[in-house]
Amino acid sequence: MAAAYEQTAFTNSYEFTQGAGYSLPQYPFVEPAEVRSGEVSRHPIVIVGGGLAGLTFACSLARHGVAAVLLDEDNTVGVKGAASRGICYTQKSLEIFHRLGLYERIAAKGIQWSVGRTFAGNDEVYSFDLRQQSAYNLSSQPPFINIQQFYLEAYLVDRIRELGHVELRWCNRVTAFEQNDEEACLTIATPAGDYRMRAGYVIDATGCHSPFRGWVGASVTAKKGDDRWCIADVRFTRHPPVERHTWIEAPFNENRAVWQHLMGDDVWRIDYQMAPNSDAEEMSREDVVRERLARQFGADCEIQIVWVGPYAYRSECIDRMRHGRVFFMGDSAKVVSPFGARGGNTGIADADNLAWKLAAVMKGRATPALLDSYHEERHEAACQNVLVTNRTTRFLRPAEGAEKLFRTAALGLARRYEFARQLVNTGRMAIANPYTRSSACGAGGGRPVQNVSFEWPDGSKGTVNHLLQWADGRVLLLLFGGVSRNSLDRLRRLAQAAPVCCVQVLGRGETASAVEHVRDPLAHLQGACHVSGQGWALVRPDSYVAACGKSVDADLVRAVAGAMGAPNLEREPG
Amino acid sequence: MKTALHLQDADGFYELLLDAHQGLSREESELLNARLILLLANQVGEAQVLKECIEAARQSPK
Repeated sequence: MAAAYEQTAFTNSYEFTQGAGYSLPQYPFVEPAEVRSGEVSRHPIVIVGGGLAGLTFACSLARHGVAAVLLDEDNTVGVKGAASRGICYTQKSLEIFHRLGLYERIAAKGIQWSVGRTFAGNDEVYSFDLRQQSAYNLSSQPPFINIQQFYLEAYLVDRIRELGHVELRWCNRVTAFEQNDEEACLTIATPAGDYRMRAGYVIDATGCHSPFRGWVGASVTAKKGDDRWCIADVRFTRHPPVERHTWIEAPFNENRAVWQHLMGDDVWRIDYQMAPNSDAEEMSREDVVRERLARQFGADCEIQIVWVGPYAYRSECIDRMRHGRVFFMGDSAKVVSPFGARGGNTGIADADNLAWKLAAVMKGRATPALLDSYHEERHEAACQNVLVTNRTTRFLRPAEGAEKLFRTAALGLARRYEFARQLVNTGRMAIANPYTRSSACGAGGGRPVQNVSFEWPDGSKGTVNHLLQWADGRVLLLLFGGVSRNSLDRLRRLAQAAPVCCVQVLGRGETASAVEHVRDPLAHLQGACHVSGQGWALVRPDSYVAACGKSVDADLVRAVAGAMGAPNLEREPG
Repeated sequence: MKTALHLQDADGFYELLLDAHQGLSREESELLNARLILLLANQVGEAQVLKECIEAARQSPK
């Protein structure tokens, strides 16, 4: 083994763990063939970073049967000791994992929750139950599941190994990078020595310390504050209700904020806001952490500390999510404060967005022009998520003077008046971001489709994800209501010329005119596709509407072409 | 944003406002004003009008 390979530091020097801690899976390092042969290999797609975004992307490619190599600098998932690891996964993320085939494992290990309560002082300011909200209750997946991030990552690794197609290389660190118009070249260090590799496309999923930003000269818009927090992941002898509790001004935390959430394995995450510019080492010392916990749960409550993670957050947003052959995703592209679970979930969405596009390009179904829509769509989402999380951090850490004054006023009013509760901002939970200016979306497009149910012709239950699976990376054209013979002929020609699968969706009492049809007696599928009355919706493999319309006409053909990055489909069928 | 008179009783409102502040410390007065702004903003509702009001308040000469 060459001595030159420096092990990843699993510590950021101010955390400690005790009790059971977390045990993480270890994956074997296999000496890459290139190290021995000295050859420079070439791979169409190289993914750098095996975190949530990189692994989701890899798993999605594997499901599409597209080959790639993933490089990760250590031999495990979940960087030991790193703070601010995600716990809260949205319905959209769960729907994506359902498509990838790991939802059942997540549901079995994770904790479902839908009730949230917000307190100020000793009073409850407001509460919500997401299951009562129509926006959530039609999907086959729940509003949220809480689970430690490393479980998701480990499940993704297992699934990738099952599916094949993507080679996972552990203890492979990229140390240098260059690119020209045709390809990129990576230099990689391993415990067995260095090697080089050429790549058609590079996915940077290395996280917030991405070296690629510097290598490609990416500009980043950033903002950093003085707010400091400290997580304690704990087990209790007697535990609180399975709800999300947030305190704006917790009397047991010197009137600063506290978050309380349950995760898998009966581990609770208690996240304390510290005084501005607090010292990380001091606030994460065991006796200090224990004292804080005792103030909240009582001195007699037996507490096992699993993990402690102090953190400061910042917001960063890369100005271009694509630089030549490199695509930035997850924390490499943008970093937000943890409030509202908009970090990991949007990284998962980044991966889901690019994976089907790149797979379609690799299979010759889409033109490379489609890849430009990745920046258009996900940069809009990134900017929105930065904006929303910055508003939350401003509420949670108001500047002295007017900002603090208005927060006090809002909290006072919220105790009595319903309208003011909306001003109390403890995080706006992540959503599937809409795309309003994408070149790949036409009229009515850019909106997410929930994983709702319908009936197959034999009466059994199916979901949107089943239809997408059946379409297998093609776009799905759903035709609501009756279809004329002329339209059917036109659709047949379209399906021959373009990667599109057509399905007629029948309302109650309607009869089928197309071979491929499903029944939607409750109109849930129609509602999920944002279509009213007769019409069509073009649904992409990432379960977003590309466009919708009323009749089978040139607009529909243009929409199909646009969704595949080929604006001239009618003249040049491909 | 309305700039013509819309108040039913301008003098009456002004008096109520001053009375509400009577006997309050500077801090209490500031908090009262902040609460009042939030309550009134909810009466207005419309985002564009509120934006114009905030801008007008910023631009207004001392």
